[in-house]
Amino acid sequence: MAANVTVIGRTTRVHGRLTGASDLEVQGFVEGEIVVGGDVTVDAQGIVGASVRGRRVIVRGAVKGDLVGEEAVLLQDGARVVGDVRAPRVAIAQGALVRGYVQTGEGDGAPARSARAQSAARPAAARPAAAVHERAAVAARAPAPAASPAPPKVAVKPAAAQERGAAHAASGTNNAGPRRPPPPVVPALKKTKGQIAKKKER
Amino acid sequence: MASTVIGAGITIEGEITTDEDVVVAGTVRGKLSAKEGITIEHGATVDADVAGASLVIAGALTGNVTATERVDLQSGARVIGNVKAARVTIADGAQFKGNVDMDV
Amino acid sequence: MAQVRTTTRGGDTREARIGGGARIRGRIHGEGDLVVEGQVDGEVAIRGDLTIAEGASITSEAVEAHAVTIAGTLEGDVAATGPVRLAPGSRVRGNLRGTAVTIDDGARFSGKLDCEFDLPPELGGAPRGDARGRPPARR
Repeated sequence: MAANVTVIGRTTRVHGRLTGASDLEVQGFVEGEIVVGGDVTVDAQGIVGASVRGRRVIVRGAVKGDLVGEEAVLLQDGARVVGDVRAPRVAIAQGALVRGYVQTGEGDGAPARSARAQSAARPAAARPAAAVHERAAVAARAPAPAASPAPPKVAVKPAAAQERGAAHAASGTNNAGPRRPPPPVVPALKKTKGQIAKKKER
Repeated sequence: MASTVIGAGITIEGEITTDEDVVVAGTVRGKLSAKEGITIEHGATVDADVAGASLVIAGALTGNVTATERVDLQSGARVIGNVKAARVTIADGAQFKGNVDMDV
Repeated sequence: MAQVRTTTRGGDTREARIGGGARIRGRIHGEGDLVVEGQVDGEVAIRGDLTIAEGASITSEAVEAHAVTIAGTLEGDVAATGPVRLAPGSRVRGNLRGTAVTIDDGARFSGKLDCEFDLPPELGGAPRGDARGRPPARR
């Protein structure tokens, strides 16, 4: 009996990370990051105490954490969410309650790129680099969501600079890349700083 | 009673506790304890101490196994760890390395 | 600076409508409902319900109303004493506060949502005894 859907039953409590490729249904309690490639459904009695990332994230229960959908986040009647919500499509139905920053739209593929850059950087043991990059991409998107062309340009260049920084960190030559605080939000400055940093690393 | 199913494509790193049955087809690292039965399917990987009422193991498990009733290792199982239960069966084709304690 | 007033008389609310061709720059305040079909640039503070029709837009530092329904474009923060609803096709940028916020599939939104409610106690919300415990005052 091979199972492709994971069900966390009503009386089950998971304290730990949940990752994988398939779909997931939470009827119980999960306190730990959820990152899956399939759909995540939090049932009416489900409770999740950390961030959730999936292809589609459907919530009817309670979540304290960010929700990121590669395709969509759907909050249905009964949902109670405290956390940020990001997806190309976000729907919040009558009866769903949310406190947090919500952003629809993909910004021309920036989140997908950042996810791929993140998973590329991870094998190089560059988790701080990935976190900095994601924060930088999010910070870049926040002030100018209406100006769609700007964010992807900004997101791609730091991705390249950070990946090189991550590679350098892995080879042990320079720790300046991952440890740097997130670059300022202004796109022009960010580009210059990235290039200056690259020169320093050489 | 509803059961918890940890599917083939899922990895859980941490502690899992439940009052229900659990079927593991994916990967669990950490600790797993259920009040009812636990089935570890062929293809599953469990690096954890496992405790339940009755355990059926057909996959790979590294860790200590404790059952209040019985533990059955099926053909294809690969278990490294100590097993403690009132009744234990190890089928032909199961691989096992560890202590067995039937004195519960 | 234009000012549009709606007044109530003994409980009656008169609906004010800003037509499709109108562009208003200034402050709008009043007691009744307001339907915006044109373009408004300025503060809006009404006691009644606000509707931003498809194709209409409001750019504002602050929008205050009872219920707010947006089918057009809004840029600015909304503080509603009733529900806020973003219809499909709407484009909204700003922070929304209301008794409930509904975002239809297809709406485009970026900003903060601020509804008052409690998470279940397992996630640190108020214990079951409290009906709707108020969060600590922020400002």
